[in-house]
This record gives sequence, C-alpha cells and structure tokens, in this order.
Amino acid sequence: MSADTMTGTLVRSESTTIERLGAVLTALAALTIALSILGLFVIVPVSTTVAGVAVSRLLGAGLLAVGLGVMAAGVGSQWGPLDADPNRHGSPTDGVLVGLVWLATAGLVAAHVAGTPLWPLIAVVFGGLAAAGATFSQEDIGVPLIGGGFVAFAGGVLATGTIGPGWQFAPAGFSVTLTGTVGAPLIAFGGGLLGVWIAARVAGGFGARGRQNGAYGLIGANALGMLSLLLALVGFIVSKGIGPATEGIRYGLFWQPQFWFEAPIIDEYVIVHGPELWFHWPFVMNGYTQLSDAINGVLPAIVGTVWLVIGTVVFAVPLGIGAAVFLTEYAEQGRFTSLIEIATNGLWSTPSIVFGLFGLAFLVPRLGNTPSLLAGQLVLAFMLLPVVVITTREALLAVPDEYRDASAALGVSKWETIRSVVLPAAMPGIITGVILGVGRIAGETAPILLVLGSQPFPRDAPEIFSLTGGFPFVELNLVQPASALPYQLYAVISGGVGDDAAFAWGTAFVLLLVVLSFYAIGIASRAFFRRKLDQ
Amino acid sequence: MNVRARTAAFDPETTAIAGVVGGLAALTVLAFVTGVVNPAYAAGLFCLSALVGVLTRQGPTMKVLLGLAALSTVLVLGLIMVYLFVKAWPVLEKMGPDLLVKTSEPLWDTSGHVYSLTPMIWGTVVTTGIAVAVAGPLGLAGAVFISEIAPGWAREIIKPAVEVLAGIPSIVYGFLGFMVLNPFMMYELSVPQNGTLLIAGLVIGVMALPTVVSVAEDALAAVPEEMKSGSLALGSTDWQTTTAVTIPAALSGISAAVLLGVGRAVGETMAAVIILANVTEFPVPGFNVFDSTVSLTSLIASQYGNASGMHLSALFAAGVVLFVTVMLLSVGSQLIERHMERKLGGNQ
Repeated sequence: MSADTMTGTLVRSESTTIERLGAVLTALAALTIALSILGLFVIVPVSTTVAGVAVSRLLGAGLLAVGLGVMAAGVGSQWGPLDADPNRHGSPTDGVLVGLVWLATAGLVAAHVAGTPLWPLIAVVFGGLAAAGATFSQEDIGVPLIGGGFVAFAGGVLATGTIGPGWQFAPAGFSVTLTGTVGAPLIAFGGGLLGVWIAARVAGGFGARGRQNGAYGLIGANALGMLSLLLALVGFIVSKGIGPATEGIRYGLFWQPQFWFEAPIIDEYVIVHGPELWFHWPFVMNGYTQLSDAINGVLPAIVGTVWLVIGTVVFAVPLGIGAAVFLTEYAEQGRFTSLIEIATNGLWSTPSIVFGLFGLAFLVPRLGNTPSLLAGQLVLAFMLLPVVVITTREALLAVPDEYRDASAALGVSKWETIRSVVLPAAMPGIITGVILGVGRIAGETAPILLVLGSQPFPRDAPEIFSLTGGFPFVELNLVQPASALPYQLYAVISGGVGDDAAFAWGTAFVLLLVVLSFYAIGIASRAFFRRKLDQ
Repeated sequence: MNVRARTAAFDPETTAIAGVVGGLAALTVLAFVTGVVNPAYAAGLFCLSALVGVLTRQGPTMKVLLGLAALSTVLVLGLIMVYLFVKAWPVLEKMGPDLLVKTSEPLWDTSGHVYSLTPMIWGTVVTTGIAVAVAGPLGLAGAVFISEIAPGWAREIIKPAVEVLAGIPSIVYGFLGFMVLNPFMMYELSVPQNGTLLIAGLVIGVMALPTVVSVAEDALAAVPEEMKSGSLALGSTDWQTTTAVTIPAALSGISAAVLLGVGRAVGETMAAVIILANVTEFPVPGFNVFDSTVSLTSLIASQYGNASGMHLSALFAAGVVLFVTVMLLSVGSQLIERHMERKLGGNQ
C-alpha cells in the first residue's frame, strides 16, 4: 500500500455522500429553527405568505424535508449504498429523548384529537415503544426512523395546514388559548432542534463520531442562542431607548462675549468675544420638570447613581481587600477562616431585597430616621463586600509563592512584602473584579428601593456639598433622600407606564449604557493586563 | 498546632494592639447599634489609635486592621440575621406555624391581621422551578461549550457575553418582560391577566443562567487534564470523554452551580415584582403557570410602601424565609464544593 492510500484510509479528506447529506439537512433544520423564532415573536407571523405559501406551511415543509431526509439516510446506511459507521444499538439517552417526544405527541393526539379517555395508556404505549426502538435497534434504524419520524410527522401536520394560523387549542386547567400563531412556530422550534440533533449525527456517519456531532450541534446552538439573546436584549433596548434619550440634543460653536472690563481711559466697557462650544443634552442634563414644553430628564437620578457608586466603592473596597488579604496571607486555615468564608459566600447569595429590609430595619433608624443616600451607599456596600473579597482572594492566590519567598529571603517583613510585592502583582485582578462588581451594583434596584428616598422623580439633583462659614468650609451632606436610575425606572413601571413609555425606555437605555460601560471597561482592562502578562 | 505555636502566632505586641484597636472598633459598632453614645466619638478614637499604630508599629497594626476587615463580613451577616428575626418576631408569635402552613382563606388580610406566606412560597417554588428548568440544562450546556468544545476565538466572545448577560440590571430584564412578554401573552395567547408565572420563571431563568454557566465552567475546568488525556489516549472521542470522565468528575461542582443558580432564582426580586400581578392568592388551579400570584421577593417589594406594624413584620417574616432558604443553599453548595476539592485534590 502506498503512503497516499494509507493516509487516504486513515484520514478521509473528501466528504462522503452521507456527510454531505447530513450537513445539508443540519443547515435546513437550523434554518427552520431561525424562521420559527421569527414566527414565535411575530416578527414574521406564520400567517404571512411567501410566494403564495403561508410561513407555517413553509416551516412544515422544512421539517418534513429534514425528517424524510434523515429517514432516508438511515435506510441508506442500513440497506443501501451509504457508507456509515453505526453502533449496534442506540444509547439510553437516545431512548429517553425519542421516547419522551412520542409520549407527549401520542398523549396529546389521543386526548384532544381522538378524545379517548384512554389517552394515558396510549401515551405510555407509544412512548415506551419509541424508547425501546431507539435504544435497542441498530443506531441507524432507531434514531433516524423513529426520531426522524417525529420530525416528519410534525412537518406533515404543519405543511398540510392541520395546525396553521387559524388553529386554536385551550388545554383544560390552564388559563391560556394556544393559537396557531404561537403553536406552529413552537412545534417547528421543537422539531427543528430534534432535526438538528439527528441530522448532525447523520453528518458524522453515526457511531461515536456521529454522537459527538449531534451533541455538539445542540450545544453549539445553545451557545449561539445565548449570544443572540444578549444581542437581541441590548439591541432592543437601544433601538427603543435611543430616540427618547437623545431627543433635542443641541450643540454648536458660537461667537459669544467671553469677558469684559472697564477700560480706565476711555471709560467704556470693553467686551472681548470668543468662540464657545455649546452642548445641551436635555434627557441627561434636565431634571423631571413636568412642564409641557420641556423634555423631562434624568439628571438627578444620574447624580444619585454616581454618588451611590462612589460611596459604595469607598466603603466596600478597602474593607473587602483587607479581609481578603487577611484570609490569604495571614490566617491559618482553620475554623476562623471557614467561618469567614461561609459568611462571605452567605452574603454573596443573600437576596438583594433582604439587604433592603436590613437597611430599613437597621440603618435608616440610625441615620437620621429618613431614607437617605448614605443608607443606600451602605446597603450596596454590604452587597459589594463579598464580591470584592472573592475576586481579591482569587487574584491574591494567583500570585506565585516565589514572589513572597524572594521578598522574605531579602529580609523584608511580612506586611512590607504584601504591600510592595503581593498587592501590586494582584492589582490587575482586583481592579477588574471591582469594576465588574460595581457595574452590577450600579443597576441594583431592590435594596435601594427601601432605603433611598420617597420621591423618585426629583426636579433637581441632590446638593451633596454645601458651603459653610467655618472650617472645613464644605459640608458633605449624604443624609438626604435621592433618586437613582434603576429606582426611577421602577417608579415609572409601577406607576403604570402609560404616557411615560418613552421616558421609561430612555431611562432603561441610559441605565444600560452606564452599566455596560463599567463592564466594557472591566473586560477590556482584563484583556489588556492579560496580554501584558503574556509578553 | 500546639499551644506554644498558637501563642507564637500572636506575639504580645500584636495582642496588645489587637486589644486596643479591636476594643475601640467593637465600641464603635456597639455605639452605632445601641445608639447610647454618639458613635462618632468612638469612631474617632478608633481612627486615632489605628493611625498611631500604623505610624509606630506598622506590621502588627496592619495585621490587626486586616483581621477586623475580615471579621466585618461575619458582623454584617450576623446583624442581618438578628435584625430580620427581631423584626419578624411579632408576626411569628401571632401566627405561629400557620404563617407557613395555612392554606385556607383568608390568606393575607392586612386589616384583620391574618398573614399566611403559603401563596408566596408557592409562587417562589413555581417560578424557581421553571427558572431552574431553563437555567440548569442550558447553563450546563453553555459551560461544556466554553470549557470543552469552543475554539479559542469563540471562547473569547462567549465568556464576556455571559458576563454581560449577568450584568444587565434585573430591572431591565423585568422591564422587557413587562413591556414585551406580558402583552405577548395577553394578545397572542388570550391570557386573562397581566403577568404570568411562566413568564416570570422564564425571565428569572435567563437571569440565573450566567451564574450556572460560570460556576459549572469553573468546576469543569478544575478537572485535571491528565484524566481527560487518559481517556483520549484510549481512543474515545472528545464527547465520550466529556460525558464519561469530565462531567462525572465535576458532578459535585456542577450541582453546586445549580444550587447557586437556585439561590439566585429564589432571591430575584425586580423581575418578579414587575412581571407578576402580585395578588396574594394561589393560582387557580395550583399548577396553572398562566395564572399570576406573588412570590416572597415580590411581596416585599410591592407592599413595603404602605406597610407598618404587624404588616411590616409579616414582610420581614417573608425575608426570613428567603434568607434561611438561600443560606441553606449556599452552605449546601459549599459543602459539595469542598467534597469535590477533596476528591480531585487527591494527594495534595
């Protein structure tokens, strides 16, 4: 055997017929899923017609093709010319999946179409038969014929219009009426997922490679789904909110009087003109005025959120870093450290509304008995504290012990080592973790709901600094009610959105902008530090 | 560690500083909690002593200060626990076990002072169940994708994406549910009221998803490479290795991830309060996920504004139930994670 033919048999460089067939069917099933999602959210309603054919029938045709295709592939592999490598029988997972699908289908059809009271029996019989068939028959018979059979059946139901735009179904006991508009895409979605799974197996020529293909197909679809969900969420908020949030922005370069003085000899005012850049963004720079001709803005809420974030960081970050340093560098592993670890993890998972209750019961009575910015800062600091401890600990543990040993070998004391060697080395990790934690805190609503203030739509921003006569001339006034972006958004919603929908979308947009900027900075700085370390 | 070693760890100097600085810190906290003395004075003394310590004996003083910072987490958690229970005590005393088991009308009557948390607990159970059914499998699949399957470039995209998904504020999720999904259910599926358990559960599931993904991914990544290589060397495919070696080895970490996801779902507030109609009754019938009810979190957020006295105490009781549930889940997941560390750590 020549070297060429040897590599040819070891690594098949050309794709075989069954691989190409499987790839085409997988793509078709994925296409059906994409179309079904568009149909489900009524972006492309299933009643629309494309070239004279309703979308629901198109979905059905897609499923039918996939189902018949995988069935053909199975038959071709078993008795025909297709070159595959199937196992002797299917796996238990195959049996469970295919069995459950047929159990549900047979049960629903028997109960609601045939209307027989024996439906549980029929469901169990069909489900059991399908499961047994998929598990015990050869792999290229069980899964493609029984599983693919379901895909084809679902496709047939949709393609023939049995379930179409006009279809209705109200399950007993549930206060819901499933219509064809939603039902048809749902069926297509489920059938499509099953289709992707089986078609990807076909593409792998069944066997171990086929199973891997099928599983990776579903897992990949899931990852793609998460990514699309994120893009859809952000995109939707931006598309709805950018209009109201940027309404009435004015800017320009003006030639304006800059300063003037009285010239002593000619005894007249001399006015010096100069260029001035002028910029006004009403939604971000106005308060909530409720005047008919003004644009209501969120400036007070932005100021509130900024002060909340500043206070939270000031309180939580030193405390959290200190705790983490003590745990990692000083404390021996023992009861004390595990107590603190339990407390930290407990704080991390404590529901945000419980922090709010705590603030209401403990902080508010002790801080002037009024909802205040300071109480909000403290409550959020308690929430941020465990995040800082956990991320700082991770960063500290990642610092190699050699650093500490080298410093100790030079006779440097423990605290000096921590201050000048360990902490600087861990700083990138700490900074990144804190930024991400702060991003989360900036959007928290539940804790500040109870402690921040009673007027969510202030006209003016809170005056934090007030001038005083004596030293130190400036007074920091944190014990006063305030608003914040998430709080304001909640207030709009709970007040019944109504005419304020545009204002609410704008607020959501600005809030998302603030939070995602923190995330962008955090993730970018992590990437930057990582690249720097790799060099 | 014997006694000498233990005392050597805290030399007399450190002990003295710990006594002074720690004592003043304790005094400050005590003054703030009781309100007998103005805490500012105690805090001033504490700062002064800490400053003097840092200037004269930096090493030991910093050790003491860092130790106090570590203790602060325990202090905060302890205060939360105490104040929740104290505030919830009146209603616990009045209703007794009925608070948690009474299922007959009246369930929640603020004028007659009858409070039963059963509808809220049921609401939380149903929404959490739906959320976990979404977040568990999808989260595990996402974790497997990131840790086992994805090529480098895909990981660089999907990992930050999951983080951002966790970062979108809960109020924004709730807002979307309220503006988009609730009307969808009403117009497309003729659901009679605004807000269904199903939508709340689905949205909360999406919100719990990132927690499950990142914790499960950590667990999968912690499985030693040697175990996977051994399996691959025997000729199994990547997927066979994942299902037969990696996932079983990481199973305890994965269940810890799911438990933490359950904890997140139980405690999720804003999405629930906005999406649900917050009526203090059971859905009819109980399993009808297209009906609306109230959850423990949304009860507090929707009623705190006009609550006082016994009513407020009942809200704190809801907080206690939440807190205890979540704390049990947290401790449970930590025990499981420790078990996993022991198992995989081997001879370390």
